[in-house]
Amino acid sequence: MTNDISKKIAETLIKAGTTFPTDRMNAYKHAIVNETNKRAKWVLETILENAKVAEEEALPLCDDTGIPHVLIEIGKNRCLSGSVMTAIQEGIAAGLRAMPGRPMALMGDASQRLEQSGGIDDDPGAVLPAPFLVKSVCEDDVFRVHILLYGGGPSIRGQVKSVFHKHCMSVVMDEIVALASEAVLKLGCTPCTLSIGIGRSQFEATALMIEAQVYGKYDIQNDLEKEITSRVNAAGCGPLGLGGEHSVLATFLKVGSQRASGVRIVSIRPDCCFEPRVATLEL
Amino acid sequence: MKVLSAPISKKDIDELEVGDLIEVSGYIFAGRDSILPKLVGLGDESRLNELNLSFEGSVIFHSAVSIAGIGPTSSNKLEIESSMVPLSRMGVRLHIGKGAIGEDTVRGLADNHAVFAIIPPVSALLTSLAVEKELVAFPEEGMEALFRLKVRGFTAIVAAAKGKSIFTD
Repeated sequence: MTNDISKKIAETLIKAGTTFPTDRMNAYKHAIVNETNKRAKWVLETILENAKVAEEEALPLCDDTGIPHVLIEIGKNRCLSGSVMTAIQEGIAAGLRAMPGRPMALMGDASQRLEQSGGIDDDPGAVLPAPFLVKSVCEDDVFRVHILLYGGGPSIRGQVKSVFHKHCMSVVMDEIVALASEAVLKLGCTPCTLSIGIGRSQFEATALMIEAQVYGKYDIQNDLEKEITSRVNAAGCGPLGLGGEHSVLATFLKVGSQRASGVRIVSIRPDCCFEPRVATLEL
Repeated sequence: MKVLSAPISKKDIDELEVGDLIEVSGYIFAGRDSILPKLVGLGDESRLNELNLSFEGSVIFHSAVSIAGIGPTSSNKLEIESSMVPLSRMGVRLHIGKGAIGEDTVRGLADNHAVFAIIPPVSALLTSLAVEKELVAFPEEGMEALFRLKVRGFTAIVAAAKGKSIFTD
């Protein structure tokens, strides 16, 4: 059984790294039709063409194939054992070898890894996933594994910030727009998707941000998401920073429980033009 | 569309304007964070000849090269952007990457007859346009080593030229 899980996880990872979901494909088509800046339109068309070639030929969308992140959702009738966790780990390594992922795992002790002096492992499967995030869900029989691939650019520009809200939603929104606008300007790989989690700690906010990436939809946007997208796009950064109306294709926002306090913790990641790279497996 | 191939002359560079679409073919170098400062260091010590490579009129693509393909990394990362002007003094005429670069870099490129062009990070397409690849220096850096690629029709947009930048003007 665990061999079967590993195989399916490998396939899921490859799907995450080589395909666009339908709603993102449609978001690009919509943006191409509506973009008035010629250079920006050319960039959008090229990204869409790249997505088609990547899917047809099973090639990575981006040579930065990313660091695997895993969100597991499990209902009360299902069991997550150590052997299943191991099978997921093995499936990730197998998927990275097969895609193929970029060999970018650093070797050596802590200091060597930090200063990149211990060499680079030439095995793509040596790129270990981040610690798994496990969440219980109210659907009793669910065992769902989401695989996300995090590229370096968005990780450079992502932030977790404490926002003093002054009991006013507009203060929170202004702060998010300011953070996002700066990140988008420096990202390079726009148009981006803004993924945002708001929680009570840095960990919780980032966990919520990951949920936003998994469940966000380009064709279903609430008023807060629409406002953030619209305000960041108003700055006119555009695809690759070349100007135009489409710096951001959509915003995926997840607001969690909050505490009685003057502060909200915001985790924001400007996902690049290929992200969120995510695929889901139901076990 | 202006067609360029290395070695690129100063005259060719001086004719480029911000916003021009260019098509690059032929041999280019690919390198990024790890090795660009090393190249600058060798140049500063007048030891570049140890690599047996000519950088006069050359193109450097800010990219890793691996089995996952090629694609531009962010050129505004500290080690990359800080190498661009010194490398231009060593003869590099065209830097290809992505992301906004600072005003000092934009001016420094202009002072040394060099330009910066950005290219969409479309790895599946770009990889198919790289018809040869050869590791030419710093093999210990793995995917971040210095590679020489032969490419066919890389299309990019000039983002910084003559002291002007597409990101600020």
